[in-house]
Amino acid sequence: MPIKPNVRTGAIDWTGENPGMLFKTDPDGDWSTLMLFFRVFWSPVGPGNILLLYENPAKSSGMPDCCNVIMADNEELRDYIKTGFIEKLGTFCDVPAYAASSQISIDSVTSDGDPCGEFYSETIKGGDLEVKLVWQGLGKPTALELPPELTGTGEHIMYSLLVDSKSAYIEVNGRRLEGAPVAREQAGLPLSTAFLYFSETWIFPDK
Amino acid sequence: MQRIAVNPGKVEWSGENPGIYLKADADQDYSTVALFFRIALSPHGRGVGAIILGDPDTASGYPTVPNLCLTDNRVMMEYLLENFASKFPTFVGKAGVEAMSWHDITQSRQDNHNMPHSYSEELQAGDVKVQMTWKDLQAPMAVEVGPPESATKAHDMYAVFLEARDAHITINGEVLPGRVVDRQFFGRTMSTAFLAISETWVSPS
Repeated sequence: MPIKPNVRTGAIDWTGENPGMLFKTDPDGDWSTLMLFFRVFWSPVGPGNILLLYENPAKSSGMPDCCNVIMADNEELRDYIKTGFIEKLGTFCDVPAYAASSQISIDSVTSDGDPCGEFYSETIKGGDLEVKLVWQGLGKPTALELPPELTGTGEHIMYSLLVDSKSAYIEVNGRRLEGAPVAREQAGLPLSTAFLYFSETWIFPDK
Repeated sequence: MQRIAVNPGKVEWSGENPGIYLKADADQDYSTVALFFRIALSPHGRGVGAIILGDPDTASGYPTVPNLCLTDNRVMMEYLLENFASKFPTFVGKAGVEAMSWHDITQSRQDNHNMPHSYSEELQAGDVKVQMTWKDLQAPMAVEVGPPESATKAHDMYAVFLEARDAHITINGEVLPGRVVDRQFFGRTMSTAFLAISETWVSPS
């Protein structure tokens, strides 16, 4: 039987959750802190969790000097996401912190809160680090289906469930990192640079 | 379904919703219908749950027959059952839906580290332990449907499906009878066991 048009014929790159925070201390300045978290349910190299955190994106050093880290519990997945995804996101790969980041294993990940409630959080532990990510001021959940020209990579079709966050913070071993989210725009929506993305699927263009 | 970047509808829930439908006799109706839910977002919070109807046409619950619902969030599960699962073609009109027993989960465990060979969900509720296992998982496919094609006939739905060529369910170690069979699913011949991940349901505006 022919495949109906509601089945994408392009291969799936990966699917899961991909919340983030991009902070500035000066709204007119460069990013002061960058973070992406990945909870991957399926990829060609298996599931897993990855945290990309730059305490100082402009600094070419990692731990213990600076909390520029890439944490993961699946090294093959970490490398797959780095080369196939992060290296297509200029904000995250065209900074000195990317190459200098310390690579650390994740021991545990714990979620708390409610994305339809007051807050949502992820706590990632590994090595000597406990990283707490907290999103607050949560917006209405919105389902997105973005064509390549509207995605970060410019190559994929992406399904996602967005929950915007007006305020957010990151703590590393109880120490709060500097900066706050700023305004951004995606698919015509006025948003913040702190966001939750659930049920996110990156698909190569239809054959 | 018209493809638009921002769906103007109301998001209902999002998460994982794998299923196993088994037949003891290939020419008869399903002997077991079961759904698992891991919900990341809903109007009633997050949580996990499973609906197992091992005797779908009998109006009794566990332990008389293996018809039971296990969850760590009853309000969420009641919402999912009333508005979604009970409207799915495999559950519509089944006497076991109303009669199944409800159990509060004390422990749950997902094992996804052997994919694509196998995947399992284990739920413990007091002295009841349910294990759902999917085997021989196939390549994922991304699906988007509007109300005419969705299981509820009322929603937009986005999901990633992985066919499982084999699957089974145990309750306290006892395997429910039946085997997966083939069915037509989005224009493909696929088995009646599947993972459905990154799934989002939207009420059209």
